[in-house]
Amino acid sequence: MRSRLPRNLALLILLARALPVGAQTGGELHFCLHGEPKTFNPILVDDEPSENIRYLTGGVLIRLNRQSQALEPALATSWTISRDRRTITFHLRKEIHFSDGTPFSSEDVGYTMRMLMDPETHSSTGDAFRSGEGSVAVESPAPDLAVITFPAPIAGLERLFDQVAILSAHSPKKEMAVLGPFYVADYKAGSYILLQKNPNYWKHDAQGHALPYIDSVRLDIQRNRDIELLRFRRGELQLINRLDAEQFDRLQHENPAVTRNAGTGLDAEELWFNQSPAAPLPEYKKAWFGAKEFRKAISMAINRGDLCRIVYAGYAKPAYGPVSPSNHFWFNSSLEEPKYDAQAALRLLTQAGFRLENDTLKDRAGNRVEFTLVTNSGNAAREKMATMVQQDLSQVGVKVNVVTLDFPSLIERMTRTFDYEACILGLVNTDLDPNGQMTVWLSSGENHQWNPSQKAPATPWEAEVDKLMREQAAAPTDKGRKAKFDRVQQIVAEQQPFIYLINKDVLVAVSSNVVGAAPVVLNPPGFWNVETLRLGPAPDLGAQR
Amino acid sequence: MRARIQIIGSQLLTLAALGLFGGLLSASLVRFAPGYGVDERELDPRLSQASVEAIRNSHRLTGGLLSYYRHFLASALQGDFGRSEWLERPVSSLIKERFPVTARSVVLGVTLAWATALGISLSGLFFRGFFLDISGTLASSVLIALPTAVIAVFSVYLRAPVFLAIAVVMFPKLFRYLRNLLAEAYAQPYILAARSRGIGRARILFQHVLPLASPALFALFGVSLSMAFGAAIPIEALCDSPGVGQLAWQAALNRDLPLIMNLTLLITLLTVAANLLANAAHERAL
Amino acid sequence: MLRGISAVILCVIFTAGLFAGAVAPYPYTKQFRERVNAAPSASHWLGTDSLGRDLFARLVYGTRVSLLLSPAAAFLSTLIAGVLGGFAGLVGGWCERLILAAADLSMALPLLFVLLALRALLPLNVSPLVSVIATFALLGLLGWPSSLRVVWATTKNLRNSDFLLLARATGCGRSRMIARHVLPNLRPVMFAQFWISIPLFVLTEATLSMLGLGVMEPLPSWGNLLRGLEDVSAVSTNPWRLAPLIVLMVVVVCFQLILPTPEETA
Repeated sequence: MRSRLPRNLALLILLARALPVGAQTGGELHFCLHGEPKTFNPILVDDEPSENIRYLTGGVLIRLNRQSQALEPALATSWTISRDRRTITFHLRKEIHFSDGTPFSSEDVGYTMRMLMDPETHSSTGDAFRSGEGSVAVESPAPDLAVITFPAPIAGLERLFDQVAILSAHSPKKEMAVLGPFYVADYKAGSYILLQKNPNYWKHDAQGHALPYIDSVRLDIQRNRDIELLRFRRGELQLINRLDAEQFDRLQHENPAVTRNAGTGLDAEELWFNQSPAAPLPEYKKAWFGAKEFRKAISMAINRGDLCRIVYAGYAKPAYGPVSPSNHFWFNSSLEEPKYDAQAALRLLTQAGFRLENDTLKDRAGNRVEFTLVTNSGNAAREKMATMVQQDLSQVGVKVNVVTLDFPSLIERMTRTFDYEACILGLVNTDLDPNGQMTVWLSSGENHQWNPSQKAPATPWEAEVDKLMREQAAAPTDKGRKAKFDRVQQIVAEQQPFIYLINKDVLVAVSSNVVGAAPVVLNPPGFWNVETLRLGPAPDLGAQR
Repeated sequence: MRARIQIIGSQLLTLAALGLFGGLLSASLVRFAPGYGVDERELDPRLSQASVEAIRNSHRLTGGLLSYYRHFLASALQGDFGRSEWLERPVSSLIKERFPVTARSVVLGVTLAWATALGISLSGLFFRGFFLDISGTLASSVLIALPTAVIAVFSVYLRAPVFLAIAVVMFPKLFRYLRNLLAEAYAQPYILAARSRGIGRARILFQHVLPLASPALFALFGVSLSMAFGAAIPIEALCDSPGVGQLAWQAALNRDLPLIMNLTLLITLLTVAANLLANAAHERAL
Repeated sequence: MLRGISAVILCVIFTAGLFAGAVAPYPYTKQFRERVNAAPSASHWLGTDSLGRDLFARLVYGTRVSLLLSPAAAFLSTLIAGVLGGFAGLVGGWCERLILAAADLSMALPLLFVLLALRALLPLNVSPLVSVIATFALLGLLGWPSSLRVVWATTKNLRNSDFLLLARATGCGRSRMIARHVLPNLRPVMFAQFWISIPLFVLTEATLSMLGLGVMEPLPSWGNLLRGLEDVSAVSTNPWRLAPLIVLMVVVVCFQLILPTPEETA
């Protein structure tokens, strides 16, 4: 009897040492999705809620570490790209099983790629791989070796595999059998999705413990941000993935420990003028919008500092180009940052033939300079920015009419009828690499918003941008690509087809009982490291009031 | 007997005709309103041109609106109510999931509102209490002055269930009508005679006043149900409750033709049915 | 006495809205960017909103929009209800059934969607004022079903009433009957409906604006201003944000108090 006690005690102490003090494994992470996920099939994912679920449940070959922005091996232990950059060879991990026990092999990689590249499949993930005509060939010479050959070289090929979650070729559960840290256990449409820990997840931590640490993730479907914030304050939710600036500000004053500002994000808000020749606008207006001095003057007359300070409570930075400064590699830091200067704007306008008469600006023919600015309703920040731009431009005598439309009507005007004059919208940039924006910069592109789907470039500078974008896609080295894209950024700064307004900060709220949270700028900012998150004891709710 | 069947038959026919016409009207509204056939995904720069074309084509109505409607009716008769374009799920399963939520809120809300309104008006007559009457009038005057949206926002903040918000919206309208109705019935000459004879107040209220007022009460009940359904849409949209109201609101924002058609059909049928029942009860009791 | 007070309050608010330019210290669009979300002070009686615009000025101009356009919409809807309801009640038969069916259908149509569609249809270069007038006109055009039934029921009762029967028996002409007997008796009902409809339209506009379908920025209206209430927890720290709601409620309550009670019209 006496001899066992010291031994038991020793065992107990050893056990206690094995797990970190305070935070234990297990528990349920509870947060919200802002919309209904449209699909659980990772191949067809296009909307944000589905992407979030794919991130939580999908196993990928190569993972982009959201914090270091470097590529890490995941299901593939290593990979090589052929010299002609058309073939990629993956060495896969062995002894891996899907969540339902089906073994993983290179056949599954082949199956996934074939499904992805099926011409009937139309998804953003698959389209990123469509570099040229022809089909994609996948070979599985060995169960742990997969060779994928593309018809044409693809710039930044490895990075694209971060979005490809591997499907099982043989499992009876089809896409519900997954390789990621969690799998979908329960789904009530309109209400919630419950994810359970994947017992067969391949990743282990440095001490050899199986990841993830938490047992389950509950995702509520909650569109209303105010309700979400309320529930977070009450302790029902532990994480808000993206906060509005106003909400962040308020939360910051109440409880600074739970708010995290990950830094300036990649998303931009921009204003552009309709330069499409098919637009049903009077000729004199088309002439204004087509003149680069007009666009540059408008850009100079907008007080971006005020926009950041007032609309985003300081949680945004003025933007002058398509690339956010937090995109360290691709940002062209040599570009000069223009200043807010209404007088200089007026001088530029006068040079271009406009004149100011009794506080109203008139063009050469005597037409009063006025235009309508549309934006989508339901986005309070954009409506406020439009109202502020209205006041800024009135200082240079330009009369702006702000109209908010619901999104489908707005898209119809932008893409079908071209019946609008100026528009403010935001660009959601999920990708660091500008290659994902080809349809924006190519003059033949659908998303070349100011003048989409051109048969031939309408202006010499658009032709130059076309050439540069094609060259950067084919350039062999990253440095070569950067040089080309830097020149594109320079042209955009000179011509201002998009007048960039601000880059928002990425704002996250994390409850103090979530251990290990480190919000970053890339998506998903709050739970990119969900597998290593732990839940500590619940915080004292009394303190949060 | 035969005449009655004829009447019921013609009423059902009216119901069906109105429902169908309502569905067609809302379908044309959606089809010809600006923004039909566009998809948010068109703005995604990651999609290739072929994908964008495919997305655009999936929303185009092949053939005219009338043939689409005919086709929809034919499949509806077989139980297939189409597929939501925006949520990409069959409409019948969507409505099956969400209708109980809304039905529960509406029924509970209307019941609560009726119980409170009837309770206060009857007690006012029973106890002849000035206080009850005044407080009821005051409460209803203040509550009726609150916009539905504000009530919804406050109920979210106070974590009140949706049916409470609906009850708060319905109560003032019901109360003031009920109060006048019951007071009028109470003042009828023969009731006065009964009172002077010494017949108990409770007996008078339940055996004489209520039956006298019952045709109007039934009519009001029908109207209150349709009003409650109407109020459920903004309340559910603002409270984020997963019911039919929120579905209708989101469907309108997303121009989801199959969903809007089905929902309008449903709401029209319910509204017209409620009104028909109310009329029938009204005429029967007269 | 209560009625007198309500009438006075309504008159004051109405006049303030009518002469908004004189009452408001600043234009409703002017942004005081240095004083955003300010508390009430001597220069800004109700403080400023999130863009630095004076809330008192916006409230006064909002009163102009809400309180001047709602009666117009109410007038339109009562007129339509009167014409259609009177016609249905007098003529009867299939005409009556058709009109009642149309009323039912109108109530079932998704009003929110119609408004959405209307906003999208308006050409972009109309001034905000025109779009506001269009919104209220649409509310008026779609608001008649609720008043219709009351008018119809009254007309039907009138038609079967004794004195009208007598008039018909003595050979009174149709048009003379309508002009001399029906219309004067319909007037109190129509007036009551008109008066009831005004606050209803005010409230509907408020709900619509909170959903984003009402009056477009930067034009203020009570509903627009109520959007600031959407974050209720902010209200507890800035209680002056409740001002538009209080004004709205006072106005609606006053309208109700002024309305003659059924005992008085009987």
